[in-house]
Amino acid sequence: MPSLLELQREFSEGILHSAGPEFLQKVRPGRFAPERHFQIYRNNVFESLTSALKAVYPVTGRLVGEGFFRYAAASYIPLHRPESGNLHDFGEHFASFLAGFPPARELSYLPDVARLEWAMQESFHAGFGQPLALATLSSIPEREYGNLRFRLQPSARLLASSYPILRIWQVNQPDYAGDQTINLDEGGVKLLVIRHEDVEILPLGEGDYSLLCAFAAGATFAQGAKAAMDAQRDFDLTGALARHVQQATLLDSEIERK
Amino acid sequence: MADAIKSDRVATPIPAKAGIGLRAEHYREVTDSQPPVGWLEVHSENYFGDGGAPLEYLEQAREHYPISLHGVGLSIGSSDPLSRRHLEKLKSLIQRFEPGLVSDHLSWSSVDGSYLNDLLPLPYTEEALRHFAKRVQQAQDYLGREILIENPSSYLQYTHSTIPEWEFLAEVARIAGCGILLDINNIHVSAMNHGYDAQQYLRAIPANKVREMHLAGFTINRYPEGEILIDTHNAPVAEEVWALYRQAVKRLGSLPTLIEWDTDLPPLPVLLDEARRADEIMEKAHALLA
Repeated sequence: MPSLLELQREFSEGILHSAGPEFLQKVRPGRFAPERHFQIYRNNVFESLTSALKAVYPVTGRLVGEGFFRYAAASYIPLHRPESGNLHDFGEHFASFLAGFPPARELSYLPDVARLEWAMQESFHAGFGQPLALATLSSIPEREYGNLRFRLQPSARLLASSYPILRIWQVNQPDYAGDQTINLDEGGVKLLVIRHEDVEILPLGEGDYSLLCAFAAGATFAQGAKAAMDAQRDFDLTGALARHVQQATLLDSEIERK
Repeated sequence: MADAIKSDRVATPIPAKAGIGLRAEHYREVTDSQPPVGWLEVHSENYFGDGGAPLEYLEQAREHYPISLHGVGLSIGSSDPLSRRHLEKLKSLIQRFEPGLVSDHLSWSSVDGSYLNDLLPLPYTEEALRHFAKRVQQAQDYLGREILIENPSSYLQYTHSTIPEWEFLAEVARIAGCGILLDINNIHVSAMNHGYDAQQYLRAIPANKVREMHLAGFTINRYPEGEILIDTHNAPVAEEVWALYRQAVKRLGSLPTLIEWDTDLPPLPVLLDEARRADEIMEKAHALLA
């Protein structure tokens, strides 16, 4: 008689790869052969995990079509099984999986679109922090600004792509009715994904992107400002700061003075 | 002000009436229109995030309804240790929403840290019984409250199982001191798939342990050799299941009864009609007794 652990390992192996005759002997032939009984679980597992991926990656799914997506999901699932009983955590590695998935090689923009969709998934479930108020900012003497450290909202995610992934995402929304053409050579894009009422995707200029990346990495305001000016010579630092306060990108409590 | 309301909130018991599952597609409609239904049940894991719309809607729903937290991912039957992270998330959800009932399944879903996201069948052996009951106790100790264990739908049986499922479930409840969530649809589905007697199942369940019942719709998969019923939660409750439910109510009395519908969700009024039908069955049984 197999121990519970042995049985569960064989069952899991059978679901993800194939059930050997040794395992199938442990399944009682009922109204059907053991294979048929076991196959129900195999279908259920792949069906539910594929649906979970589809829910997180609707645009990726539209871009490749139903059949291709199911094929990609079936290859992904055994390689990157869920690591928790919370399905929201599942699918994190789909973008990097697609980047190395030979059948998707021609679709060079696809992994970046998937990265955008994962960022939106994380943003959707992230916490919310008290936004930085103008009053807090103005209570700090200006000479101290250089040493401030700003933190971003937990729902903020920064992405850069050399493809127009925002335009690709917009054109592939179910209710999109405009021009369908996308010029893949139109250039890259830098994005902030953040949740206000809903999850939003905001295009960023070079300077703004560098500024927020620096803040996200724990840099001081002075370091961030330098990175932003290096990236974009005409960067309007004061305007950007005001905009991020207004858009609640930065957190209040986390300002560190040093 | 919002904090004051929250800290005054006490666990609201789930009434012996029909409830419906609260799903994302109906968030706005339920919180806006507050339909007349006894209580709401949600899948606990859908609220394990740190913030966002699901938790905000659940806060609103909680202002108007008793809530039951139904888990699908604790993997109680796994040979891995219980997931500390999962238990922590569940506990903080319980502290925040003060649910009337908390439940999970007589199944396993993970091994060696990998999850299959399904309610997988346990072998019904002495080893599995001791293991499962111990783990229910661990979960209850950690959460500081009773949990309910639900009978799953099953599509296979093991050659080395020695205990009928109904005895296994009753023993788990007795040893671990937990409650039972009796899924009437799952009894029907498993009985049909394995050729056992749903009546016998029902009779073997200790009435004083059952705290809740589930009703749902199933799908029939047809093969050359015959049919297998699949518990898909995507259809109205079948007439055979309503019939079995009437018998369950006669035997167990009125209990919180959930209409479970998870995929291909119908408009909200369809769910409410199903809930009304369950309420009518309970009222009728009550009237007969009176």
